Amino acid sequence: MTMYTVNQTGETASSTVTRLLKDLLGRNIADAVLVSAENPWSRLPMPTVFTDSANMDRVVPLAPSTSVSFARQASLLVRGPAGKTVVLVLKPCEIRAFIELAKLNQCSLESAILVSMDCPGRLENGDYVALAAEVQNLGEAFPSDLSFQEKLTVTCASCDAFIPDSADLQICVTGMDGKLGVKAGTAKGEDIAARLNLATCEEPQNRAEALSALAGKRKERKTALFSETASTLKSIEGFQAAISRCINCYNCRSACPVCYCRECVFLTDVFVHPPELLLERAARRGSVKMPTDTTMFHMTRMSHIAHACVGCGQCTSVCPSEIPVADLFRTVAEKTQSYFDYMPGRNVLEPIPQLVARKGQSQE
Amino acid sequence: MSETETQIPSYKPRIVALVCNWCTYTAADLAGTSRLSYPAEIRMVRLMCTGMIDQKYILKAFLDGADGVFIGGCHPGDCHYLDGNLKAERRIGGTRNLIEQFGFYPERLKLQWIGASEGPEFQHHMTEFVERIVAMGPSQVRDRMIL
Repeated sequence: MTMYTVNQTGETASSTVTRLLKDLLGRNIADAVLVSAENPWSRLPMPTVFTDSANMDRVVPLAPSTSVSFARQASLLVRGPAGKTVVLVLKPCEIRAFIELAKLNQCSLESAILVSMDCPGRLENGDYVALAAEVQNLGEAFPSDLSFQEKLTVTCASCDAFIPDSADLQICVTGMDGKLGVKAGTAKGEDIAARLNLATCEEPQNRAEALSALAGKRKERKTALFSETASTLKSIEGFQAAISRCINCYNCRSACPVCYCRECVFLTDVFVHPPELLLERAARRGSVKMPTDTTMFHMTRMSHIAHACVGCGQCTSVCPSEIPVADLFRTVAEKTQSYFDYMPGRNVLEPIPQLVARKGQSQE
Repeated sequence: MSETETQIPSYKPRIVALVCNWCTYTAADLAGTSRLSYPAEIRMVRLMCTGMIDQKYILKAFLDGADGVFIGGCHPGDCHYLDGNLKAERRIGGTRNLIEQFGFYPERLKLQWIGASEGPEFQHHMTEFVERIVAMGPSQVRDRMIL
């Protein structure tokens, strides 16, 4: 993979990336950009659409924040037949989620240019806002400062998939000796790099080392987290204990970028039981917790999307009962994905495993 | 596996069978007209294809206290809708992998190809499955509070 470099004349990495994005608009390579940006009322970056580079002064492309699922919002911009070309600046997990949605025909890759970066991870929204009030230009300070790393969400702190392998353009910040690198991950990316007249450069020695050091640390935490979670889940009692605080708000379902059903069965009357049934169930099982079907909800969601879980951690972030939903899902998903030999978002041509008609496992 | 269960004497299992209209259900019909009896513990649900079985049907059966779930579909190559049975195989494999992680015995979920002309085979597989479930005893969630 060729590495290109963007001239960085005393600018911050963040403003160099912004300049690159403005360039994509200015040279008519793209018609619009979706990128995280602050707004006049809040420092919390939200996915924001720009069509004119003149308006892009509050853009924070490298901010350690994903306030909502960007993939879900991005899918609303590029749907149906190819239309306007839109640059989507997403974190690596969101890129993977976006590709999963493309496989489900819920968005189109044709008119999208996927731009991603060495992921700094993200903070919970509240933590981000609090920190942004103290620290100027959080996106810059974050990767270099180790005390900031401690503030990452549990999911990000145990994520070893922080390199956006399937993005068209990959912004490289880690171990770059102060330069800003751009890698083209696809033919589309190569074409764009050529049209931007980017100069090629050698990949610095430091980079591979820095990345593998971080990956090693993250993997260690991930393994510990998964084995701890798996041991709590291994019986139905454990499962019940893990979700016992759930109030059936379905926030995790709404926040999930890959929970793909247009109409969720849990929003229909399927689980509105007649009173007699509830009373009968209470008599037979000793008692009935209401709202009902909490176990059913989480297990159904796991069975539907465990193969596609990209480990973004939004479900944990939105849970009002502070259930570590993402820990549960990522632990289960790792086993499901290894069962199907599938990695979500790796390649849009890799079919969804349940839709592959192939005689594989035995009937048993 | 952490399933701890006690054998209840004279226990009658509850077994849900999700069967394909074009093969296993027809085989059940054939078994009936051939006067072949099979255990009364089976509650059969006819579907148009095993390919329409969503994972939640299986989960709901188990969480509502089924001791076993039997799925009967067409032999590979015989699916009325080309490859619904093969997709079912993948999906059920994934579901088995999932429930196993939560301490359910995967043996409680069985997928079997039974062709339309296989009345005796239908009887054989149903009897065998019921015997297997009886030997395993009641499911751990059968009469317990489930959130």
